[in-house]
Amino acid sequence: MPNSEDFDIDSLKKSWQEQVISDDYNQDEIEVMLNKKSRNYVKYILWISVAEFIIFGIINFIALFSSSFHTDFTSILNKLQIRNQNEVEFSLDKIYYWIKIASLVITGIFVIIFYKNYKKIDVEANLKKFIIHIINFKKSVNLFIISNIVLLFLFIGSFTSFIIFTIRRQNIEIDNPTFWGLIAGVTFSLLICIILILLYYKIAYGIILKKLSKNLKQLEKIDSEKDN
Amino acid sequence: MEGKQKEFSKLIKNNQGLIIKVSRLYTHSLEDQEDLFQEIVLQLWKSYDSFQGNSKISTWMYRVALNTAITLFRKKTRQPQTDELQDFHSKNYLEDSDEKQQQISLLYKVIKMLPDVERAIVMMYLDDEPYKEIAETLGITEVNARVKMNRLKKTLKELMIKHA
Repeated sequence: MPNSEDFDIDSLKKSWQEQVISDDYNQDEIEVMLNKKSRNYVKYILWISVAEFIIFGIINFIALFSSSFHTDFTSILNKLQIRNQNEVEFSLDKIYYWIKIASLVITGIFVIIFYKNYKKIDVEANLKKFIIHIINFKKSVNLFIISNIVLLFLFIGSFTSFIIFTIRRQNIEIDNPTFWGLIAGVTFSLLICIILILLYYKIAYGIILKKLSKNLKQLEKIDSEKDN
Repeated sequence: MEGKQKEFSKLIKNNQGLIIKVSRLYTHSLEDQEDLFQEIVLQLWKSYDSFQGNSKISTWMYRVALNTAITLFRKKTRQPQTDELQDFHSKNYLEDSDEKQQQISLLYKVIKMLPDVERAIVMMYLDDEPYKEIAETLGITEVNARVKMNRLKKTLKELMIKHA
């Protein structure tokens, strides 16, 4: 029957250091390992982030630079019986132009931030710094996506409010089915977009970010409890 | 390149005990243990150029090994149930016939019950790393590393008595 002295950590130090390591690897086996594929979370986050950048960049590009936008927009104005279409289109073109510029500038800035944050991830850093840098790296991608969503909302919002404003100014009948169809369509698409984005984030990053935050909290807790 | 690979693999072979201990402490199956060992070796290899004697070998290896085990590594197998874990431990240490080895097995078992960061503190302490190194590896203060370890000694003793 072991006594409690046997479980003293300091008395177990020597045995721990002298423990027999069975099944150790020889030099050839180690060299083979150097050619194997790495399986780590940063790589996983990097590739998903690059895919996100490309997908959101393309969506943004298509939405803002597509030529079919004008044809579709003119047909909506026709259905809503809006007069002075050239004047309306000219005003909307201005808003559209500034959103395009903002989108390009934002993408450019984020590509630089994304790259800089990725370069900061150094496996030789201390654990706390390492976790913080991975979280910051991921945050820069999240911010890029959020800013794109905000731009998209701004675009849809300014488009819808401009139409409502014109309808009111021109005293057009509000029970026009195209108008209500447009409002319902916009609201429904926005809701679906929000649900899909939230679901995607929960699946893609839920586990890894939860694990990182948990470990960061542990480190912060250790640093805050010294006098307790 | 080949010469550098040989030099590196020799360095790892001579210091693999540290990597094996980290791999054992942060996995729950032999498959994950081997995969984690390999991932740590790969990460060490990637940072070998920047290391090249800039710090102590153990400091460099601890940092890379613990960062990989705690943050980078994607486990293949799910978290096992308690009885499966018990089974893994008995199979893994079947050759641990003498009392000393049984104590070490028990020590592994109870350290694995601790959260990730605390496991790292205990392991470095058992390996006789100074508190300064422990603190610098984890990014906490030296005083707090010392305070935490003193508390952990008590927790570990209680856990060992309970699970002996």
